[in-house]
Amino acid sequence: MGAVCPLALFSAGAEATVAEVRAGKGMQTRLFGMGFCPDARVRVQCADRGSLIVSVGDARYALSRGIAMKILVGEPGETA
Amino acid sequence: MTEIRIALTGNPNVGKTTLFNALTGSRQHVGNWPGVTVEKKTGRVSRDGYEIEIVDLPGTYSLTAYSADEIIARNFLLDEKPDVVVQVVDATNLERNLYLTTQLSELQVPVVIALNMADIAEAQGDAIDRARLSEFLEIPIVRTVGTRGEGLDDLLKAAIREVKTSPHHEHTIGYGDDVEAKIAELVGALLVDRNLANRYPLRWLAVKLLEGDENVASKVQEGPASACVQSILSSIDADEYEAVMADKRYEAISAILPQVHRTDAGGTTFSDMVDRVVTNRYFGIPIFLALMWGAFELTFTVAAPFMTAIEALFAWLAEVSVTSIEPAWLGSLIGDGVIGGVGAVLTFLPNIFILFLILAFLEDSGYLARAAFIMDRPLYAIGLPGKAFIPMLIGFGCNVPAIMATRSIESEKDRLLTILVNPFMSCSARLPVYVLFAGAFFGARAGGVMFFLYVLGIVVAIASAKLFRSTILPGDVSPFVMEMPPYRIPTAMTSLMHMWSRGSLYLRKAGTIILLGAVVVWTLASFPYGVEYGSAESFAGMLGHLIEPLVAPLGFDWKVAVALVFGFFAKEVVVGSLGVLYGGGEETLTEALLVDPGLSAATALALMVFVLLYMPCVAALGVIKKETGSWKWAGFSVAYGLVVAWVLAFVVGHLAPFFIGGA
Repeated sequence: MGAVCPLALFSAGAEATVAEVRAGKGMQTRLFGMGFCPDARVRVQCADRGSLIVSVGDARYALSRGIAMKILVGEPGETA
Repeated sequence: MTEIRIALTGNPNVGKTTLFNALTGSRQHVGNWPGVTVEKKTGRVSRDGYEIEIVDLPGTYSLTAYSADEIIARNFLLDEKPDVVVQVVDATNLERNLYLTTQLSELQVPVVIALNMADIAEAQGDAIDRARLSEFLEIPIVRTVGTRGEGLDDLLKAAIREVKTSPHHEHTIGYGDDVEAKIAELVGALLVDRNLANRYPLRWLAVKLLEGDENVASKVQEGPASACVQSILSSIDADEYEAVMADKRYEAISAILPQVHRTDAGGTTFSDMVDRVVTNRYFGIPIFLALMWGAFELTFTVAAPFMTAIEALFAWLAEVSVTSIEPAWLGSLIGDGVIGGVGAVLTFLPNIFILFLILAFLEDSGYLARAAFIMDRPLYAIGLPGKAFIPMLIGFGCNVPAIMATRSIESEKDRLLTILVNPFMSCSARLPVYVLFAGAFFGARAGGVMFFLYVLGIVVAIASAKLFRSTILPGDVSPFVMEMPPYRIPTAMTSLMHMWSRGSLYLRKAGTIILLGAVVVWTLASFPYGVEYGSAESFAGMLGHLIEPLVAPLGFDWKVAVALVFGFFAKEVVVGSLGVLYGGGEETLTEALLVDPGLSAATALALMVFVLLYMPCVAALGVIKKETGSWKWAGFSVAYGLVVAWVLAFVVGHLAPFFIGGA
């Protein structure tokens, strides 16, 4: 397993691969349904305010920083 | 005639309701943001000898429900057992949409996929091999474009064919040896619960139990399999299992997709570029405020000439009725009561229509979700998730659908908070009051005054949320997660249709509750028999004088007091009542207000502030009771509103002379 870190620490333009989601009951299910599941490629579109806009596939989501802290990602191409 | 029932399901904002409207000829509200539909809606259509009931459901990302609207969708699919489930799939976002498909196919109901927004996907350069995808999934797939009504016939035919094809085959994902072993164990344990086994597929129950679905767990808990299931589940970590299973589902999807889907999409889109500007850290909120200010300027200035014309027309009609209809009391009823009251409200029809047009644009363009995003930080600071801003903005149209829209807020406490502050968002019914008084007393500054009122509404809502959060509803803000739909440029046709569908409701309101209010106020103003119309000796005068002491410190006289009382039934009635009470002269209502020595610019401003805040109307009160489940909160919102309105109207009324000059 490579080094992972929270999605919240990335800045706009960064791409990464989801390694793990630890968001707790309910929210975790929602995030999986939205496409934030292990091995999904994500891209940070906007990160200059309290929350982020992150794209997964063709969808864009607003995520509060708290949630983005619970999505652990690795470098692109790397699988956790 | 055979009856069949089709349920429309799918992810949020994939076009379910657009398709539903096209299939059934309904006019349900649609918009370009996730969570427009929060209730199930039914419509009917007949085709090929089948009487088909179509049920439109709120969007959901998964069959394990999280928010109130998702629960409605999930419960319908599970408990109402539709004959066919049509999953509406956004062709531009196949992977995520198919994730829900993998869960639907475990329900053992016939599924048909409507590959919607196919035109947009094709324009983007996506090529989807429907035949192959259909083979892989063993689910019929029909190409649809809901906005243009393409593929409707094929979709209904495919659905009917699926109903006739029975028994239905089962096609589910394999979750790997580990999970499958647990599923088998659980299925074995669940067999003893005959009641449950008759109602739901056992494999599906087992899958949901492993994922930690609380709703399914509680279903099992009531039955005889409880102990055995508990002991199996106690040995596993549900979070981990859920992750493994989600992974397997996406794995299955990504094994198929490259073979059936070719895409040029990816990289930076037009939406991303717009987002860089409108969600910018420094410009985001100023842009939002500028748009709002522009909107209210437009609402006032564009409508002004039409308004003047309508006002003159009704004034003339009222005068003709009063002077030429015999007997005199009937002339007065028609002229002063009906035309004076309803006419006063209809005068503002142009403003209302322009406001609805702007709101339609806001909803259909995709900007609404961005407004929630940029407001997330300030809202978070006061104790609400950014998502709560959407119901607040919908409240500019009407608080009733706005309060219902809170169903997509996940945390119950956040939802209650959002409901309680919603009545402070200035709905369209309050617009006539502003246009009347701001127009009469503030002339060229009317647009600015209206902007002030709308912003004041937002500020009071936010401050109240902060107050409630730190007193009666303490707790953490639920995390903010929301889909940002791609921007779409609304067509003139759809915007006008949305404007009309809401505007026509307003017209209907004018013909019912506002008419009734006007007649009641006229009656009170005319009796007891023999009094001068609208005088202090009439019933209206007595009622007004009874309440006057309460509002006198705000500068309001008895006529205003009566109007405020009846405004509880619908806020437009405030204007309608004033139209009735100031009736009888040759002048328009605006002129009558201007010459009333009891009214000044400062009083007018205080009155507008009071009407903005004072209490939810009857309809809003009803929906607060329904959504919170208790009269307690409805009563609270009336009491709180009255106090806040009184205090702020007092402050504004007494400070205003310093700013606008002269009391």
